[in-house]
Amino acid sequence: MIKIHMELKKLEITARKDIKSAKNLKDLDDIFKKYLGKKGELTLILRSLKNLPIKERKTQGKIANQIKKDLELIIQEQKHKLQASSFKIQDTGFDITVPGKKQDLGHLHPLTLVRRKVEEIFQSMGFSVVEGPEVESEWYNFDALNIPKEHPARDLWDTFYLKQKKLLLRTHTSPVQIRYMEKNQPPLRIIVPGRVFRHEATDAGHEVNFYHIEGLMIDKKGKVSVANFKAIIGEFFKRFFEKEIKIRLRPSYFPFTEPSFEIDINCVNCLGKGCSVCAQTGWVETLGAGMVHPNVLKAVGLNPKFWQGFAFGVGMDRLAIMKYKIQDIRLFYGGDLRFLQQF
Amino acid sequence: MIFSYNWLQSYFKKKLPKPEKLAEILTMRSFEIEEVKKTGKDWRLDIDILPNRAPDCFSHIGIAREISAITGLNYQDSSLILGENISRPNGKTKDFVSIEIKDKIACSRYTARVITDVKVGESPKYIKERLKVCGLQLINNVVDAANYVMLETGQPMHAFDLDKISGKKIIVRKAKKGEKIITLDNNKYDLAQDILIIADEKSPLAIAGIKGGKNAEIDNKTKTIVLEAANFEAKTIRKARQKLKLQTDASLRFEHCLDINLTEQAINRAACLIQEIAGGKITQGLVDFYVKKVLPKTIKLDVAYVEQLLGVKISKKEVIKILKSLGLNPAKSGIKLKILNIEIPTFRLDLSIQEDLIEEIGRIYGYERIKPVFPLAVLIPPKRNIDCFWQKKVKNILKETGFTEVYNYSFVNEKDISVYQSNKHKTAVIELENPLSAEQRYLRPCLISNLLKNIQKNQKLFNEIKIFELGKVFRSGIKTGVEEKRMLTGILTGDDMFYQTKGIIDSLLNKLGISNVLYNNCKELIHCSQKCAEIKINGKGIGILGEISAEILAQLDIEKKVCVFAIDFEKLQKHCSEEIMYQPISLYPSAVRDLAVLVPREIKVVDVLNKINIAGKKLVRDVALFDIYEGEEIQEGKKNFAFHIIYQAENRTLTSKEIDIIQDKIIKTLEKDPEWEVRK
Repeated sequence: MIKIHMELKKLEITARKDIKSAKNLKDLDDIFKKYLGKKGELTLILRSLKNLPIKERKTQGKIANQIKKDLELIIQEQKHKLQASSFKIQDTGFDITVPGKKQDLGHLHPLTLVRRKVEEIFQSMGFSVVEGPEVESEWYNFDALNIPKEHPARDLWDTFYLKQKKLLLRTHTSPVQIRYMEKNQPPLRIIVPGRVFRHEATDAGHEVNFYHIEGLMIDKKGKVSVANFKAIIGEFFKRFFEKEIKIRLRPSYFPFTEPSFEIDINCVNCLGKGCSVCAQTGWVETLGAGMVHPNVLKAVGLNPKFWQGFAFGVGMDRLAIMKYKIQDIRLFYGGDLRFLQQF
Repeated sequence: MIFSYNWLQSYFKKKLPKPEKLAEILTMRSFEIEEVKKTGKDWRLDIDILPNRAPDCFSHIGIAREISAITGLNYQDSSLILGENISRPNGKTKDFVSIEIKDKIACSRYTARVITDVKVGESPKYIKERLKVCGLQLINNVVDAANYVMLETGQPMHAFDLDKISGKKIIVRKAKKGEKIITLDNNKYDLAQDILIIADEKSPLAIAGIKGGKNAEIDNKTKTIVLEAANFEAKTIRKARQKLKLQTDASLRFEHCLDINLTEQAINRAACLIQEIAGGKITQGLVDFYVKKVLPKTIKLDVAYVEQLLGVKISKKEVIKILKSLGLNPAKSGIKLKILNIEIPTFRLDLSIQEDLIEEIGRIYGYERIKPVFPLAVLIPPKRNIDCFWQKKVKNILKETGFTEVYNYSFVNEKDISVYQSNKHKTAVIELENPLSAEQRYLRPCLISNLLKNIQKNQKLFNEIKIFELGKVFRSGIKTGVEEKRMLTGILTGDDMFYQTKGIIDSLLNKLGISNVLYNNCKELIHCSQKCAEIKINGKGIGILGEISAEILAQLDIEKKVCVFAIDFEKLQKHCSEEIMYQPISLYPSAVRDLAVLVPREIKVVDVLNKINIAGKKLVRDVALFDIYEGEEIQEGKKNFAFHIIYQAENRTLTSKEIDIIQDKIIKTLEKDPEWEVRK
């Protein structure tokens, strides 16, 4: 009995010494095998215990198992130490200035980003997002919006016509106002983002296709006014450019609104001081708007005696141009990855 | 439109604000001033007159009226006293010339005056200067005077040499078939039958409301002139100038409509001016054809509505003051009432409903004085737009996969059509009536052609290109005329990108909650026939993927191989689902066994997979292909597939014995076909 006890003690001492002196993981593994492996010294002792009387087996077994646990623990500790020091050697002289490995992330189009921002702002103010077709009839694009045939006002919109059936490419997303009001009862608040087309020569500021966002709010008579429009649109610009933006309303003319106005905002580039972007005026024309013309309400079967509201239209490309300080609208449709991958 | 600052000043006794300042005031209250430019001692103001205000503001008097309303300065209309030649009884106008109007709709008023004994020569300096500033050509004192009065009053005028008018009769009629005219600028025009003309008994003298002709031109020898001031229908003039492609200062004014009562005022003014600068005697009386006299109308204005619409309280007193400043007169009896009756002078053709008046009140009051106020509205949460939701989601997934989004033009050219479209499709392409260029003659029937152009442009700068577009395409449809639908199309460059593209589609569909996906062989012209597949969800085709054929790449100078996928977004969207159901993670370990099988070349992976899955049943959790090999070391006509088979049970740890049994079963099933051999 004492013999076994002594043997165990001795074994524990030498094992501990061996473990502490292990220089690398391989040594440590050998030491593990020597003592704790299938034919290891301690394993053999543990196995021999079965020949002892039951009482002694219990006490000696307890001691032997405790030693086994202790050894396993310090082997583990020694292992961590050795690993850490080996990493340390590897890590010395590590060059953090080597360029990071490029991760190939994709890019959304700047107009997608602008559209999302605009939608988010208006949705937070209770506006639903609605879409409509790009090919339109003359009725929806013009007549229903109080722009009669053979009226010079039609010249305000240079229009692409299709060879088929008197159809055209919509010149604004305003037709969706009509389509929506035909199917939905007021009060209503919508914005309509989408692609529109103009038959005009392209340059840095003009494109044959571009993006519009139309807004419409209709409520009971006396519930929605020019003052309300100013508040909504002011809030929009403030959130869109993330700073206080001065706006001003100028008289304008649109057949589908009365009164009509043009909204200028303080040039975001020079903050109103005057620069090449705003032609030294400090102001940039951004948006057309007005109070919905009674004829438009009538065209969708609403009685102007009970309903009124405002509508506005803003060029998304222009918003993007101001937000990202882009000089040429044509970049949006040129597919140049050097441009697109900046967003 | 160009205006002269000095000319405008001439209507005011007091000094006008300086040109720059005046421009600013007008911009904020009336019309945008595009440019202020000093020319000599005068300033050119380029004023962007709004189209509805053309009838009263395509004139210096109109702008003077605006300035007066905004600034409160009084203006004076420079109407002169008419010096008719009453002393001579034989000088009655109607004895000199007669008029006949054949089309009373196209010409609702025709006013004429005759001046005898004029001396044609140069205009005085002030007229020459003002016309020059406004960009008009100087002709002679008679023609210049007519032009001058047009710029002053807005009424286009014309002067004929009476001695050149055959039969001394002016006829206003539609042109006859084959009639021609040579205009003052020596251009020859063929007149279509719906074009309104001024003619004598023999031939056309002028294109009504557009341009005068050579036949009765004023020249140095002209002694007696007939002045014309008429009101022609806007539609008629507009159609004619579009047809003739001839826009003039006169046509511009007529097609925007004019005050029918303006002719008399303008013709008298012009006659006096001619008499003053070219001498001559005005004959007695006006020859005036006037179908139906137009009187000022009245608009009822609800004072409370002004506040309701503008959102600012403006006192009735101020409302009346503003309206009066514009020459709009509230009836005296109505002043005490809540509803005002406002009399509208006939020159304000743009005012017809009370909202029009509220606009006048608003802009003169000043929009900047309206304080922003948030609306008080019922709280209705915005509706969710599911279309937009999926568009957003799809774009995000592709972005995460490393794609760059592009927006291309909605147009394509002839070549694009012929390259990509089979004959069947060609007829379905939508052509524009008025394309801007041959490059943009058709609406795009697919997104691929423009995306390929993007590749061509970028290939020198980027090694690998992954781009996509989500946009509308157009084809002619039987029911609706034009069928437009949203397509999702992506393009990748690189060798052997088919499987990578397929993997992208798999991930995309998986993220969209779509599981039952199948790929079928298909032949599309655009693709190499072998490397092309139709994508099916629940057995329904939603799109294709494949490699672009070498011929097309060569035609477009694309040097790299290109793989494309094109998905009908509307069809795709029907299968999308936001639902995600959590699958419990098995508590028991999985085991992986490898299996390699040699099969004839024509056998497809899916055939092998099906057999493994059927034989292995529920305990086979997944089978992953990790290698396909054919070539050396393998007998000809065969290929080798290697799979990892993952075994797992939901309720226990599988013993290796159990796994052996299933694996054996799978092997036996595969080897039922004598051509198949599992490699051990």
